Amino acid sequence: MTSVQVFLALIAGLFLAPLAVGVLTGVDRRVTARLQSRIGPPILQPFYDIAKLLGKEPMLANHWLAFCSLLYLAGAVTSVVLFFLQADLLLIFFVQAVGSVFLVIGAMTVPSPYSQIGAHRELLQIIAYEPLLILVIVGIFLTTGSFKIEAVYAMEQPLLFKLPLLFLVLGIALTIKLRKSPFDISASHHAHQEIVRGVYTEYSGPYLAIVEIAHWFEIVLILGLLSLFWSTSVVGLVLLLGITYFVEILVDNTTSRMTWRWMLGTAWITGITFSLINLLWLYYG
Amino acid sequence: MPDTLLFILVVVPFIAALGLYALRNDSLRMVLVLATAVLLTGSSLALFSHETVAFSSTLLGINPQPLIVLLDFVVLFIILAVGLSAKHRLIIYLAGAQIVLLAVFKLVSPAEATGQAMFLVDPLAKLMVFVVSVVGSVIVIHALPYMKNHEEHLHLTTSRQPQFFAVMVLFLGAMNGLVLTNDLGNFYFFFEVTTLCSFLLIRHDLTDEAKANSLRALWINSLGGLALLIGLLWISLDLGTVNIQQILAMTPEAAFLLLPIGLLCFAGLTKAAQLPFQSWLLGAMVAPTPTSALLHSATMVKAGVYLFLRFSPAYSGTFFSTTVALVGAFTFLAAAALAISQSNGKKILAYSTVSNLGLIIACAGVGTPAAIAAGMFLIMFHAVTKALLFLCVGTIEQRIASRDIEDMRGLYAVMPVTALIAVLGALTMILPPFGMLLGKWMAIEASAHNIVLVIILALGSAVTVLYWARWAGLFMTYPFKGRIYAESQPAMTRLPLFGLILGALLLSFYAPAIYNSLIYPAISILPLAMPEAVPGTSWGILVMERGSFPVIPLFLVAALGLFAAIYFYKVAGKVKPTGPYLSGAQSPDNENEYIGPLRQSILPATSNYYLEKIFGESTINRWVNTTAMVLILLMLGGGL
Repeated sequence: MTSVQVFLALIAGLFLAPLAVGVLTGVDRRVTARLQSRIGPPILQPFYDIAKLLGKEPMLANHWLAFCSLLYLAGAVTSVVLFFLQADLLLIFFVQAVGSVFLVIGAMTVPSPYSQIGAHRELLQIIAYEPLLILVIVGIFLTTGSFKIEAVYAMEQPLLFKLPLLFLVLGIALTIKLRKSPFDISASHHAHQEIVRGVYTEYSGPYLAIVEIAHWFEIVLILGLLSLFWSTSVVGLVLLLGITYFVEILVDNTTSRMTWRWMLGTAWITGITFSLINLLWLYYG
Repeated sequence: MPDTLLFILVVVPFIAALGLYALRNDSLRMVLVLATAVLLTGSSLALFSHETVAFSSTLLGINPQPLIVLLDFVVLFIILAVGLSAKHRLIIYLAGAQIVLLAVFKLVSPAEATGQAMFLVDPLAKLMVFVVSVVGSVIVIHALPYMKNHEEHLHLTTSRQPQFFAVMVLFLGAMNGLVLTNDLGNFYFFFEVTTLCSFLLIRHDLTDEAKANSLRALWINSLGGLALLIGLLWISLDLGTVNIQQILAMTPEAAFLLLPIGLLCFAGLTKAAQLPFQSWLLGAMVAPTPTSALLHSATMVKAGVYLFLRFSPAYSGTFFSTTVALVGAFTFLAAAALAISQSNGKKILAYSTVSNLGLIIACAGVGTPAAIAAGMFLIMFHAVTKALLFLCVGTIEQRIASRDIEDMRGLYAVMPVTALIAVLGALTMILPPFGMLLGKWMAIEASAHNIVLVIILALGSAVTVLYWARWAGLFMTYPFKGRIYAESQPAMTRLPLFGLILGALLLSFYAPAIYNSLIYPAISILPLAMPEAVPGTSWGILVMERGSFPVIPLFLVAALGLFAAIYFYKVAGKVKPTGPYLSGAQSPDNENEYIGPLRQSILPATSNYYLEKIFGESTINRWVNTTAMVLILLMLGGGL
């Protein structure tokens, strides 16, 4: 990459992509509202929410929450920057895990039952989607011969044709990562569940704003991973992302939250079976 | 000069052990232990300044061979005597069989073959000597105040510290001998000495439980010893040599030798406490914590994985090596799953050791240059971090009188320094840019072409994150209680902890340099069957054919993030504290409690998810042990 490209990648990764995701979550809330016969908030509502949180008086039940919220952001931002610099996919994935781990540690520092249970459920979500993401990355490696993103962009044909089942597996991971039903175990969009907001419960005010922004970066990363499946044309890429995200919203609104046992079983059994079949195709095909 | 260094590394600990046993004076013991530690550390570092590969056939001009033969029989007869006095049939049979076979071996083995090139100093040996001598010394130093406390607690009339420290130091010498020797016969001798040392250390407290567990360790490791001896006899009869380098050079032509190599590997599995042999290492927890630290990090189990790495050229590219990778990977996943269901801190550490060693064995099985490099990285980083974590748990246990992690909830409020070191240690096990993760990254990328293997590694890697993140979070769980003060500790307790955490961080930072100066020379001279390119480094970035890991750049980013986070923590210190969220029912008197039925204040209590029904020992032990057994049979069969 030339220095201009690096500069553009940094701008895109640090500013444009998270802003786009902010708008996307606004659209998400609007579409969800329509599906539920409501009007829904303005498209820019997620930005108003963040701005309001940033203006709140900081209050904390434990100082380490502040520390952990920032490291969650740092991990998420670093992984997105690495993605836009077309680094090693497996490495990006491991850097992303830094953020997830600190989100959990922060939630665990407060002895509130809600955040404690949320933290443990978040850990269960992590062990549900982590192997799936690694296997998707392995599938990309078996197709391109490299773990680097630049090898994907060198492909002539969209990855989707070679990795259709792994794309579905990535869909499972995406649903978990987006905290959407039936996988919104550790924290849903709404505070009305038995664990309040779970892993987010004790983050408040500006620190919650940081956590929300970090989550946007995480969504950027997952959508980025999805975009690799149709890297050959912009139209294909936009269509693929649009359809996938719309399906996510539909699934979110037509299913109810399940237990973590169901989540772990479904994610592992379905995800690993699909991955295995797809990887075998690649290996012997 | 290597002659003198070898003498210090291998023989001096034996002499120091005699001294420690004979001189029953506290301050003399301290001086002797510190002097040995300094000598070992210095010599192991001095070894790095020598050329890549060096041979030595004598120690200070003396041929120790006759002495080793004598001591070998002495060790076996001691084990036999232990078996007889405990009326443990299995130990008696295993020791008896070894005595007979050893006599046969000494009678039929080619006499001239044993004399040449008795010791070999190559990069792998240097790495192992560093782990044994430096990490081992730190543990022995930490044991000085620890054992004093330990004995005060037990109200002993006569101190058993002379025995304890003698065996600890002897153990280090035996391990150094084991990794430096180039003679498979001598390797067997040192292997048996470590078995005996671990037996003595585990039974040290002489409780019924300790005695029972030490006997279990003895028979399982004797089983490995017997397998090793049979493999050794077979190889020496077929090839006419016990020179390890010659064996490695000959094995590609002598493919039928995979079965005796398989027996050696079987011995490695028992020593490294791989499934289904994990029970002895878990039983070893009854021993004082320095013992556990030593067994899990610098010695014993590392001998098992060293054997796999040392002999990897002998089986690389065969079906046998594929099954070795499977056996290791399965243990990596199964032991990590078992660790989830544990609340006993030492047990979590023990299962995590078994799991990580499985990963190293899987690397040896994959056998590409990158995989072997990953295995070497993992050995080094695991030794440092696991020693640290065991010493932390030992220190904590002496303060709070429990090793259950539920009792360590909120440890930061009680022992902030130790808690922070332990949390940082746990994080270096799972997160980038630290060395363990670097090793795991290399291992996964190196094995990505093997679908079954990589699925198992992916699952194991995720499961590992769960129990470490949970551990780190739990130490930090505490309600606001105003100012927290650093605990006071003896210097010989605190300095080893600081030294090890600093070591874990610095070694991670210098991973590219370590790769260039130590690991690259090691893997580039290996006669592997794999035609793959050897990874390199540039600008602190580790570059493989398949991907890259920017170690130094990530460290800079991590430092930046850490400074920002610390700044946030400092600023947050000024904000208004609140209690935890309790659905608006918070008690006005105590913000950590809520008003329950009958207007009573209730302190909410939570505990970790241990997922007993899924990952509990009683649920999955039978299945994982059976599967491991089947895989080992498959591995040995692969040698046919």
